[in-house]
Amino acid sequence: MTQTTNSTPSVSGSDPSVMIRLEGLTKRFPGQKVNAVDELTMDIHEGEIVVLVGPSGCGKTTTMKMINRIIEPSSGRIILKGQDVTTTNADDLRRRIGYVIQQVGLFPHMTIGQNIATVPRLIGWSAERVRNRVDELMTMVNMDPDEYRDRYPKQLSGGQQQRIGVARALGGDPSVMLMDEPFGAIDPITRDRLQNEFLRLQSEVRKTIVFVTHDIDEAIKMGDRIAILQEGSRIAQYDTPEQILTAPANDFVKDFIGSGASLKRLNLSRVSEIELSTWPTVTNEDSHERAHELLAASDHSAVLVLDDEGRPVRWAGADDLRRGSGKRLDQVGSVPQAVIEPRATLSDALNELVTARYAVTVVVDERGRYQGVVDIDQINETIRSMRSSAVAEARTEFASEGADPAQGSS
Amino acid sequence: MGFLEFLVKRADDMLELGIAHAVVVGAAVIIATVLGVALGVLTYRHERARDLTLALTGSFLTIPSFALFILLLSPLGLGWRPVLLALVLYGLLPVVRNTITGLRGVDPAIIESAKGMGLNRRQRLLRIELPLAWPVIITGVRVTTLVLLGIAAIGAIVNGPGYGELIFTGLARVGTPVAVNLVLSGAVGVMILAVLFDLIFYAVQRLTTSRGIR
Ligand SMILES: Nc1ncnc2c1ncn2[C@@H]1O[C@H](COP(=O)(O)OP(=O)(O)OP(=O)(O)O)[C@@H](O)[C@H]1O
Ligand SMILES: [Mg+2]
Repeated sequence: MTQTTNSTPSVSGSDPSVMIRLEGLTKRFPGQKVNAVDELTMDIHEGEIVVLVGPSGCGKTTTMKMINRIIEPSSGRIILKGQDVTTTNADDLRRRIGYVIQQVGLFPHMTIGQNIATVPRLIGWSAERVRNRVDELMTMVNMDPDEYRDRYPKQLSGGQQQRIGVARALGGDPSVMLMDEPFGAIDPITRDRLQNEFLRLQSEVRKTIVFVTHDIDEAIKMGDRIAILQEGSRIAQYDTPEQILTAPANDFVKDFIGSGASLKRLNLSRVSEIELSTWPTVTNEDSHERAHELLAASDHSAVLVLDDEGRPVRWAGADDLRRGSGKRLDQVGSVPQAVIEPRATLSDALNELVTARYAVTVVVDERGRYQGVVDIDQINETIRSMRSSAVAEARTEFASEGADPAQGSS
Repeated sequence: MGFLEFLVKRADDMLELGIAHAVVVGAAVIIATVLGVALGVLTYRHERARDLTLALTGSFLTIPSFALFILLLSPLGLGWRPVLLALVLYGLLPVVRNTITGLRGVDPAIIESAKGMGLNRRQRLLRIELPLAWPVIITGVRVTTLVLLGIAAIGAIVNGPGYGELIFTGLARVGTPVAVNLVLSGAVGVMILAVLFDLIFYAVQRLTTSRGIR
């Protein structure tokens, strides 16, 4: 894509991997007593999706619109690819930056093809090149060019319009995209699909993207890096989703991500990916003595009884064994409820185990045979290792970027 | 003599007067449209200028046409000149008002996305805002045309062109059998022109409005 180690006049001391640098960026709207954006300084690295997220009115949109100067900053600087663009020609700047808004804003009097061709034509591409570009972009966003090229925006569904909005923003192959709640007005199912499509698209085009949302789930899903903003666009934490979830910098971040967030993180790992714990087991052929022995030798309060096939059939505690003395082991105790397969997520496992009798979830293979158990320690362990791998990842990233390792991991 | 007989006998006159009437109104409409759209474009974003323009162009309409024609007589003389100027003044308001309404009615999100794509002020106006406001503007032009067709007839008081001549001649002969036919033929002529202009507008509107906003 774009060359970062080039010889364009650059601001002294700039890091070549930084695509956008905001320096002390401030906006005070006329007649307001406080700054809508107050002395914001942040670096946005090339090829990353940076999500600005925060409560309503904290200044996300204002911040984003200052990058393409739809809103002119009151003070501070915007540096794009090492070049100070705070006071250069705004229209030229905007042609280099794709812009997608929640209301999409397609031009209703133009066809889809004409909409997408807007910037390529503005920057003077040949008719041939523009035509090819339109088809290429429509294909990229999963819209058949031959079917939709000559339609008008009103003949498209909301989701299709937003796809075209994205295609149009990519028109002139900008290196930077600004997206303000692009999927905010779309129903949850379509939104999920558009998000996935967009992530796939981004893996191909590798743009530098500033993405605004007020939805932490969307931020976690979309962001390579998330900036959690407080009133006045003050950065509460600017970090990878893993770091933010596993090591929130302060109470504001903790409150903002809410308790559900770490559970969502658990949704990303499957039971098959972790090492299962063991639990004392007996077969239905074994004697009560054997069960008692096992119980005495372990610090668990029950044994798991397996049938001939190795499938868990009973939990048998010491009391159960006493009460059911003389009965076969598969006749005593209680039937295990919390049983899951390896494909289940850790979040499923956690859900099961909090209600389970012995605070573990039994894992069985697809034929129902006992594999091991998941307990709360393992879930904790997984969260811990997510945290340390996030730290390690962040470190190597910073090291490879040659940046100050202290920066960013606040 | 019946009215139809009268019309047939005077067919050449009717055609000639009709063309003259249409030309002076057409010219006034074109000038009023150019001026009116320009005034609208210049003022729609500034509240004070907008209000002032609407008040001014509106005030022209309050001058009785009879009086205005006669007032313009001394600087411009007899003939089509005072008529054309008066018609332009009367025709401004509907065009200006609809231009302002149309431009202000464009969805801000569309303008913002145009801005965000790097269209400059002129490009936004010419490629986005005016085309989107066009259906409203052309409705104003249509209203202007109908109003001016009627007013133009009064222009005969200063020897202006058009069907007014028939009406004023009829007026001079009130009481004679031909008077009614004269006045009626002038009125019918104006109505026929109104229908023709409307048909033209219908065609122009369809041809100049994108399918995407119909
Ligand atoms: N044009 C404006 N004039 C005056 N104040 C404004 C203007 N635009 C925004 N503000 C104020 O600036 C602050 C930040 O607004 P902004 O739109 O950036 O918030 P946001 O974080 O995008 O919120 P949301 O999640 O609701 O979209 C708010 O207090 C808002 O009222
Ligand atoms: Mg916003």
